[in-house]
Amino acid sequence: MSVTSPAEREELNRLLIETGRSDQKAFAELYRRTSSKLFGVCLRMLRDRGEAEEVLQETYTTVWRRAGSFDAAKASAITWLVTLSRNKAIDRLRQHREELLDDPERMHETVDEQPTPAADAESSQEYRRLEQCMQELEPQQRSSVREAFFTGATYNELATRSKVPLGTMKSWIRRSLMQLRTCLDQ
Amino acid sequence: MNTADDDNNHSLRYAEYVLGVLDADTRAAVAHEIETTSEAATAVALWQRRLIPLSDSIAPVTPAPYVWARIQHALQLATPARTPVPARRGLWNNLPLWHWLGLGASAVAVALLVTVMLPRMRPQPAPAGGLDYMAATIQQDNGVTGWTATMDLHHARMVVVPATPQALAQGRAPELWLIPAGQKPISVGMIARDKPTTIALDPAMLARLGPTAALAVSVEPIGGSPTGQPTGPVIAKGAIGAAPDASSHATKVALISHAQAGHRLV
Repeated sequence: MSVTSPAEREELNRLLIETGRSDQKAFAELYRRTSSKLFGVCLRMLRDRGEAEEVLQETYTTVWRRAGSFDAAKASAITWLVTLSRNKAIDRLRQHREELLDDPERMHETVDEQPTPAADAESSQEYRRLEQCMQELEPQQRSSVREAFFTGATYNELATRSKVPLGTMKSWIRRSLMQLRTCLDQ
Repeated sequence: MNTADDDNNHSLRYAEYVLGVLDADTRAAVAHEIETTSEAATAVALWQRRLIPLSDSIAPVTPAPYVWARIQHALQLATPARTPVPARRGLWNNLPLWHWLGLGASAVAVALLVTVMLPRMRPQPAPAGGLDYMAATIQQDNGVTGWTATMDLHHARMVVVPATPQALAQGRAPELWLIPAGQKPISVGMIARDKPTTIALDPAMLARLGPTAALAVSVEPIGGSPTGQPTGPVIAKGAIGAAPDASSHATKVALISHAQAGHRLV
């Protein structure tokens, strides 16, 4: 599902605002249009269908209850929704942190350096711009930023996976974030 | 000492929060800041705008329809007759699947089913992935398929087709039960022993049709079990397993084994 065109974004904003007014039809339509994107995000972070389903359910029940606080001037609906699902998935990961640290499979998971079903003509302008800025980072740092974003791992976990000291990982990520900010805010 | 570095690291906390690298305690502290100070909320919103587009590179995956049913159930929303996800065509005509279900040998049953179902199907283009249908082969003790149950999650209904007409004692009829993992059986309804039965699934039932539930058939008085729980012998029962991917669709099938058939459900 593409949620990248400006018209589609506007429509999602409208649906989320209507949902905030307890419009069930708008909520169903919002779910229809966004659930596969959010489920992809949850599945990528949690790597378990059942867990991802639970987090998706929590996400949309929260959407229904909190849509009233959505402010289109501050964020687009899709950013608001993806953020909400990411936060729920990260909370879930932190709860299970001990178990996950014990699971060698997860410890050595790597993230594809290849982005992108979206890196084509359909991808959003924001995404293309971010990718350009990502390409300016050192390869190892770029891959740490990606892994952090897609897996929701903590600094500690990232350092262990990459076999570098915690301080090194922190400075990689922080330097990358500053570099991205400079590049994106130009 | 408050150095420029400290300041920088402090403002980067919002970026770290959005990226997701903070541990649980630090995360909670930042979340509290966002709730209570508008500076923090604004800084986080800016970082979301910068970083969240990374998620555009994640391929969408359609969730199973029962997730929507669970959401509606959890929120006590009034439910339309169907879930809002577009229906997918194909399964009803999916011969490998029917074959796998044990109906392949029974052309009559397939023909019957297709006849029953086709007039109601409105094929629509489908998104990739997801779970739209579940099915169960309900076998008798001797391994012969007694019924096949197919659940159309989008249209919230189950069709139960007898493969072999059952001979039951006078005044007795088969009753179908759904057994969520670790829970008591829930009556799905009475089913015919010699012709297809279509049963509408309410949202509560739909929400329980996960891949950990099982189906079973017991023999009950004509009007159904008087107690709300199975009272007669169980003809078949089984756990849910993954089906062979008979087409490009992700299809899960509940395989009713006969290993425990004949036992009481409770």
